[in-house]
Amino acid sequence: MLQGAISIVSENWLLLLVGQYPNGPLGGIAATLMLSVLGIALAFPLSVLIALARISRWPLLRAPATALVYVVRGVPLLMIIFWVYFLFPLLLGANVPGFATMVCTLVIYEGAFLSEVVRAGIQALPAGQMDAARALGHSYPRAMRYIILPQALYNMLPAILSQFISTIKETTLGYVINVPELTFAANQINNRLLTKPFEVFLILALTYYVVCYSLSAATTWLERRIATRRAGPAPLAVMEAAG
Amino acid sequence: MIRFENVNKLYGDYPALADINAEVARGEVVVVCGPSGSGKSTLIRTVNRLEEIRSGAILFEGRNVHAKMSSAELNKLRSRIGFVFQSFNLFPHLSALDNIILSPHRVNGLGRAAARDRAMALLDRVGLANRAHAFPAQLSGGQQQRVAIARALAMEPPAMLFDEPTSALDPEMVGEVLAVIRGLAQDGMTMMCVTHEMSFARDVADRVWFMDAGRILETGTPDAFFGAPQHPRAQRFLSDLRSR
Repeated sequence: MLQGAISIVSENWLLLLVGQYPNGPLGGIAATLMLSVLGIALAFPLSVLIALARISRWPLLRAPATALVYVVRGVPLLMIIFWVYFLFPLLLGANVPGFATMVCTLVIYEGAFLSEVVRAGIQALPAGQMDAARALGHSYPRAMRYIILPQALYNMLPAILSQFISTIKETTLGYVINVPELTFAANQINNRLLTKPFEVFLILALTYYVVCYSLSAATTWLERRIATRRAGPAPLAVMEAAG
Repeated sequence: MIRFENVNKLYGDYPALADINAEVARGEVVVVCGPSGSGKSTLIRTVNRLEEIRSGAILFEGRNVHAKMSSAELNKLRSRIGFVFQSFNLFPHLSALDNIILSPHRVNGLGRAAARDRAMALLDRVGLANRAHAFPAQLSGGQQQRVAIARALAMEPPAMLFDEPTSALDPEMVGEVLAVIRGLAQDGMTMMCVTHEMSFARDVADRVWFMDAGRILETGTPDAFFGAPQHPRAQRFLSDLRSR
């Protein structure tokens, strides 16, 4: 069986890596990672805006942001994919490629989830930080920009990275609307071989595991680093205090 | 310079501030004391409107801080009132120097180089020029509070408010912070200071306000207040404080 798996990889590694590119659309791991990176990168600024709206004093901003978060949290990702897939072409009056559909879906979905991470990060800061900023005469937006958000986002880095890991796994659902990502590539191989589904999907699972595990390890490392930095007195300060 | 006119504030049904009428003259140092929960911190936080009031007015340089005004006007007013917190509230992601530079640069539009020069001069004044690039987590409590004072002074406010500036400090660090505040008093800064440091109050204050249950029960010179307090509540408070 192991031999079977190795021969599948050696015969299909290019398909798993980049799909049918350059003869067809980019696929495989490359497409999976691009979907995830684009999804998170575009969702992140959106999530900061949603978070700010969620904690705004004005109900006009608060209500729609809250509604969006609750709806997205309460609906399976697959439903959102279908909505975007069927609704966007109707609204735009044009064909939307699968890849773009998937990126839009991920931005909506991850934007809502990340916004809760950002909101928690803002609200976890001591109230004294905002007090100090306001007492010095900073406006609310400026206090957010220079004092609150830099701290909150730094503290939230591990949570954001872990959201990125779930995004990688969520891209598998692109398969249902024929986005040629990694799962799609594996399924193509399986359809061709017909008799080796266990090996093919084992390879698929292992590939996801390796990518996600390395990112998890990076998250843990980052968490430790942040904890050390926060723990305070650097060796120099201790020496000076003692001397 | 700071005048309270019939100030009232409620927390639910509890009067946090009741019928406050008092004034801090230019160049005057007022120490506000009283048991915990008496409204001292609430009172000082209403001066720059970190706390709202229910009724009355608080005039700063003749202007009612609690009047209806745009947020830009309020920010302008606040930038002219230095505030020092019990828990320092330095910005932990910025070095001591950048903590001080940020507000003159971003709020008052002072150039970065000029803001930096001013910040270095202030760090020197509070005795921390050698720690300019340290982050708050690398500083002791006393050092953090001195940076916080420098940060407030960087806006060149005509008045400073201190909300229990030494209560969160280890005893051996209280002196260094009080020395800085004492220096400010000698330079003629108008100040309101909530504190339990009675020897400091004796040395530095021009007047003491004694508060209990949201009211100012007694005001007087430190000698009069500490020597012969009139109000029974003040007598009890002082004897409790001395028996500690």
